[in-house]
Amino acid sequence: MQRAGTSIRLNHVSKSFSIGRKTVAAVDAVDLTIEAGEFVSFIGPSGCGKSTILRMVAALEAPTAGQVTIGDLPPSEMAQHHRLGVAFQDHALLPWLTVRKNVELPFRIASRPVNDQQIDQLLNLVGLSEFDRARPKQLSGGMRQRASIARALILQPDVLLLDEPFGALDQVTRRHLNIELQNIWARNAITTILITHSVDEALFLSDRVVVLSGRPGRVVKVLPVPFGRPRSPSVMRDPLFHQLADDLTESLEGYVGSEEP
Amino acid sequence: MLTGLRTAKLLLVQISGIVGLIVLWQFWVAARGLNTIVLPGPMSVVLQLLNEPAVYFWNGLHTLALALAGLALGTLLGTTVAVVAWSSRLFEGILTPLGLIFSSVPIVALIPVIARILGYDVRTELAIVILISFFPLFVFTLKGLKALPPGASDLFQTLGATKRQHLAWLALPASLPSWLTGFRIAAPHAVLAAIVAEFLMGTSGLGHVLEGARSDLQMQRALAASLSATVISVTFFLLSAVLEQRLLRNR
Repeated sequence: MQRAGTSIRLNHVSKSFSIGRKTVAAVDAVDLTIEAGEFVSFIGPSGCGKSTILRMVAALEAPTAGQVTIGDLPPSEMAQHHRLGVAFQDHALLPWLTVRKNVELPFRIASRPVNDQQIDQLLNLVGLSEFDRARPKQLSGGMRQRASIARALILQPDVLLLDEPFGALDQVTRRHLNIELQNIWARNAITTILITHSVDEALFLSDRVVVLSGRPGRVVKVLPVPFGRPRSPSVMRDPLFHQLADDLTESLEGYVGSEEP
Repeated sequence: MLTGLRTAKLLLVQISGIVGLIVLWQFWVAARGLNTIVLPGPMSVVLQLLNEPAVYFWNGLHTLALALAGLALGTLLGTTVAVVAWSSRLFEGILTPLGLIFSSVPIVALIPVIARILGYDVRTELAIVILISFFPLFVFTLKGLKALPPGASDLFQTLGATKRQHLAWLALPASLPSWLTGFRIAAPHAVLAAIVAEFLMGTSGLGHVLEGARSDLQMQRALAASLSATVISVTFFLLSAVLEQRLLRNR
């Protein structure tokens, strides 16, 4: 399996949107390489363009300047080859399909035979084996996100893109899912980008944390996370963890005021 | 047990309105001393229906067949055209105003035009029912094709779905509730359109009976035909409501 073989390159990427007659810069000259098999989180104040970065990697937006490449290919080609795994904050499960059918969906879109065994394994991994015939509306918010992550992983994609997948969940569920995600990810380290508001979440899961400034989003800090893997939840009680969390929070707070022009 | 009782109660409430209307009708006829040319009482209408059941049955069957065929073809056409409009902005731009115009033209004004083209026979009647059924299905299907669950369109793009897969796996299933609403609206309209067409074209069917009765001042006959038509129309509505409930049970 050519797992963990794909890096993501953001080559001086900028993105601006026109709103009416005004042009608003969302992302400004972000230059970053995410190594194959690396887990990188982007944190920043709201409206800093972190989701825009993910949307460019996910082939949902095109950069105004610079290039995004995954391996050697542009994101749109990766999408066409069904090599992207994406999970969104609003789970995007299809309400008329069961959990199992939702997780199967990428097989159908890729016109590949459905691998039932693989689906069983993955549903088991995310703790949804008992709920495979339930509809999304019968699930809790945390379960829906689990299903959505299972769907993102089912085709064993080259990169995993997570856009605030736990953003709408309560603290306890969120922590729980962080630990689960870390376990799932530890099995086969897949190049991952996580967009999040939570400093703790970013630190616990990532190899590097990228701090973005307020609009337009610029990289102000890249923090390598020194903890080894696999990580147990006890890492979160480490004094160093708290110190790093404080540092990150501080570098974020410097930009809170910058949201207003 | 309780739900059974509640359903019975609800049914009673719903029927009471209809029964009340019939009682009022009978009372009005008796109190004003109206003769049967002006307004016959409800009993005499029912007797008329039972007197000549074959007339109402066969003509009713004609109306039913016409409405069903027109509704089926109109549904097929409306859905197909909505999908075509969905598939390209250009087609949508062309088709939406056309649909709007056709729906706004009174059916009575359209009939002579269509009759000139297709001839004064059942083909024109069918064309009218198709036209009437077409519009709600076109509008509601198109609306439904765009009513996607949040994030689903982004998901399909990142999965590398083709336009056809977008349609088959996302837009069409998403449009089902809206499509059913369109169908539920179109179904009784199809019966109405069939009767109006029969009334104006006059070959057979309940509309034809109605027309004949009107010119002969046979009000019992006219009302009996109306009653048969109402039964068909309500049946259409109820069946489409049941269909809607069945298909959306899992949503």
